Amino acid sequence: MQKLYINPLPVRIWHWTNAVGFILLIATGLQIRYLDLIQLVPFRTAVVAHNWVGFVLIANFFLWLGFYLFTDKIKVYHPELSPTKYFRASFRQMQYYGYGIFRGDPNPHHVSVYHKFNALQSMTYQIIMMLVVPVQFFTGVLLWDVTRFAAMVEMFGGVRVVDTVHVLFFIFFTGFIFIHPYLASLSHTPWAHFKAMITGYEEVEDEAPKKGAASN
Amino acid sequence: MSALQHKVLVVDDDPVVGKSFNRVLSQKGYVVVTAENAQEALSKVQEGEYDVVFTDIKMPGMSGIELAERLKVERPWTPVVIVTGFGSAANQERAKAAGVSSFLEKPLSPEMIEGSLRQALLEAVPAVVPGLVEAAHPEPVEEESHLKKVALFVAAPFIGLLYAVMLPFVGLGMLAYLGVKALKKNATATKVISLVAAPFIGLAFIVTLPFVGTAMLAWLGVRALIKKTQVE
Repeated sequence: MQKLYINPLPVRIWHWTNAVGFILLIATGLQIRYLDLIQLVPFRTAVVAHNWVGFVLIANFFLWLGFYLFTDKIKVYHPELSPTKYFRASFRQMQYYGYGIFRGDPNPHHVSVYHKFNALQSMTYQIIMMLVVPVQFFTGVLLWDVTRFAAMVEMFGGVRVVDTVHVLFFIFFTGFIFIHPYLASLSHTPWAHFKAMITGYEEVEDEAPKKGAASN
Repeated sequence: MSALQHKVLVVDDDPVVGKSFNRVLSQKGYVVVTAENAQEALSKVQEGEYDVVFTDIKMPGMSGIELAERLKVERPWTPVVIVTGFGSAANQERAKAAGVSSFLEKPLSPEMIEGSLRQALLEAVPAVVPGLVEAAHPEPVEEESHLKKVALFVAAPFIGLLYAVMLPFVGLGMLAYLGVKALKKNATATKVISLVAAPFIGLAFIVTLPFVGTAMLAWLGVRALIKKTQVE
């Protein structure tokens, strides 16, 4: 089994901090939003924890951003500029997820150091990491101190608009936190991708040395 | 650059050859991917970058020489090594003209495989700048500027968003195209489609007719006015 060093240490630290942080944000956010239904901790504690975890994740986001901006790994997040190539790869990947995977077909995407994401993942993560996450943090900061940022909140249409955007993205992230581990389990073994995010080394499944191959 | 980062594509209709390469090179940390014909190789190259391509000459369908020519046109920076038991002078000349790195004659030994790979990688050094291969850049000698990389990084979510919006439309369009193409092969289906589509096409004509008529009248009027102005 071949091993490629796909996830450097800063990415792994960012990823797991993010995972724990988002679960805490979702849990505390659920309590803040649905106070009548969920009372895991006192309301005040939920708000304080939500704010602190939010700021930790903002700092964590800048760790991620700094790592990619100042290393050649930035290419991992570069877009595919040829629509033809992009759509072809996307439909192949969709066919694999929807049909091929159940037949045991090989994954059409071959992981490499600079192409760790398939076409669908690439598009999704570009949008999430550079649009959705910053907007979520921004709306979160505005809601953290509505009085201080009153002018800006008004500029965006008032608390209701900012809050709606924050809650809509919160629903999106809640869905993501379930879908992400499922998709991560679709490697040659259910734990391979999880292991790769701990060790940094991704196992490349279809290039394993085969016994009995001739040497001529 | 570590061998771990090198990806090798081996194209041969005899799976034993692919296995041999795999056995020799995977132990050294190279990633070996195999293809059993040129068509499969081309689609693999479309999907991901390879540092070196080894290809047999005699294969069903497209030959290894044709494959090398195609690869050298599409990815001139990728070294191609021909593996063959039929090393005719004509083939060698044609392959050299296409820019093939070297010839490897069967039977192969592990030393030959590794040696030719190392040689191909060394030859490719000026062309295979890390990252440029990944970016499929046609001018591999120049490294992308950091500014360009950052610009692409910043543009990525917007391009991603555009693709996300377009994806269902492109998908539906492709499905419709494939469906129509498949149905066209069936004469009865074509008749049925024409029958079903006829009232909609008629309706489209009825809806567009007044607009087309009005536009034509307007155009004739404008033309007459222009002519009248010119005469005066």
